[in-house]
Amino acid sequence: MTESRDWPVKLDPIVEEFSACFDSMERYELLFQYAKRNPSPLPPEEWDEGNQVHGCQSRAHVSCTLDEDGNFVLRGGADAQIVQGLMAITSIAVNGMTPSYVSEMSPVFAEEMGIRSSLTPSRANGFLNMFKRVKDEATILSGGK
Amino acid sequence: MGDDLPLDIESIRADFPILSRKLPNGKQLVYFDNAATSQKPQCVIDAMSQYYSEYNSNAHRANHTLADEATTALEGARSSISTYFGTSPDQMVYTSGATEAINLVSYAWARDNLSADDVIVLTEMEHHADIVPWQQLSKERGVEVRYVPIDTNSFTLDMDAFEIAVEGASLVCVVHTSNVLGIRNPIEKIIELSHSQGARVLLDCAQGAPHERIRFDDSEVDFVAISAHKMGGPTGIGCLLVKKDAMAQMGPFMTGGSMIKTVSTDGSTFQEGHALFETGTPRIAEAIGWGAAVEWLERFDMKEVHSHINEIASWTAERISTIDGITVYGDPSRSDSSGAVSFLHDSIQSQDLALLLDEGGFAVRTGHHCAQPLMDALGVPSTNRASFWIYNTMGEAESFVNHLEYVVSRFSDK
Repeated sequence: MTESRDWPVKLDPIVEEFSACFDSMERYELLFQYAKRNPSPLPPEEWDEGNQVHGCQSRAHVSCTLDEDGNFVLRGGADAQIVQGLMAITSIAVNGMTPSYVSEMSPVFAEEMGIRSSLTPSRANGFLNMFKRVKDEATILSGGK
Repeated sequence: MGDDLPLDIESIRADFPILSRKLPNGKQLVYFDNAATSQKPQCVIDAMSQYYSEYNSNAHRANHTLADEATTALEGARSSISTYFGTSPDQMVYTSGATEAINLVSYAWARDNLSADDVIVLTEMEHHADIVPWQQLSKERGVEVRYVPIDTNSFTLDMDAFEIAVEGASLVCVVHTSNVLGIRNPIEKIIELSHSQGARVLLDCAQGAPHERIRFDDSEVDFVAISAHKMGGPTGIGCLLVKKDAMAQMGPFMTGGSMIKTVSTDGSTFQEGHALFETGTPRIAEAIGWGAAVEWLERFDMKEVHSHINEIASWTAERISTIDGITVYGDPSRSDSSGAVSFLHDSIQSQDLALLLDEGGFAVRTGHHCAQPLMDALGVPSTNRASFWIYNTMGEAESFVNHLEYVVSRFSDK
């Protein structure tokens, strides 16, 4: 594991779990499992044009708010399980953190997990678009521009 | 079961260099996305490369040797291609593909010949290229557009509804073969009924031309739109086949160079025949490539090719329909089916399924396939689609079914 702390400590077990995967199919299987146990789903009835992430091959929607303590809350939903799994992991990473921390985060954890290399370029771009959206929302919620 | 077929498939495959490719994950490529675009035989690649390396020049524009050679090659390709489609060069207009060919009819024929009193008949299974131009025309000119539904039990065109819709029609636009369902429509009946009402008929043969020999002069159809890239030719070129009497009713579409006779500050006079509709520098390399593609295809009896593809598609559809959770749309077992097998799984979303199939080396398409009204009629947002062509094998189909079974067993909700 790299010494970099580009992701919160609570993500370490997940990064280890993915980087220990034998192949891409095993990583996809894990993503499917995380999709099923998404800790903060955004149900389809809340999907609209405003919360849609553009640049994803599948439909993906994110809603970013602050909880009563002023910490970041991401809820995400997608019609594809792989994208939903990525959202679930991102939620685990960002939920409960300060919005300024989230706005500075890098998606390097996806590289460490081996997910980036498993995705097709267009699917990887979809994940990056989603991540950028989350960061942009966090920037706004932290009072930045 | 095996490849005990009249075509020498191994010899055919040897003509396609891309088919020996291994993907970055080490898997052998199995290309089942032919309805999106076909692979190209080496002779097509060589013909285009030779043009650029030995005689690249603009055509019809100079008297030097290279221009003469380029012009000869361009018009020679027109001759080969029009002959392949059973017509003469003067009834063939080069376009960028079937989409532009349909737009050419919309702009050059329909806008001069149709008004708010007229009716255009389409079907629910049309590609967007054969829907949107007519919707735009309807907005501009008030032309009525009618849609013939499909029978969602048989996945065929509702011909009873067609007979009603075509009454009083001026133009009927129908896809020869559905890019989603693989269904070949009853073209001959459609033309007969349409002409009995005085309507002209446009056929979108983008999917039909790779699977069936189009004989334009033997058919009563008025307009035929074709794309080269789905039949072994390069992208960026196609044609509109158009009967002389229909062409005589067409005005200019795109204007500028090549399609003029004279230009002055007082106005311009225009070319006649197909030259009126071929504006600007021609797609010379692409035309030469397409000419090489039809010359390659001429070696084969398209009935044998169709039979080969149909056998693979029928077997594949029958096998995957027995996999838990899989629904097949269309009826690939029909003898006239083109080899597109659209399917969905009830718990593995279509894009996920396509990605998991790609992990096994299988290139299939997912999405609405530019046929959203058809998706609406089927009640689905998208499908996965495996589509076969001349170089695919039963062995590839067996591997595909095995991998799909594995993916479903590993990733479906149990």
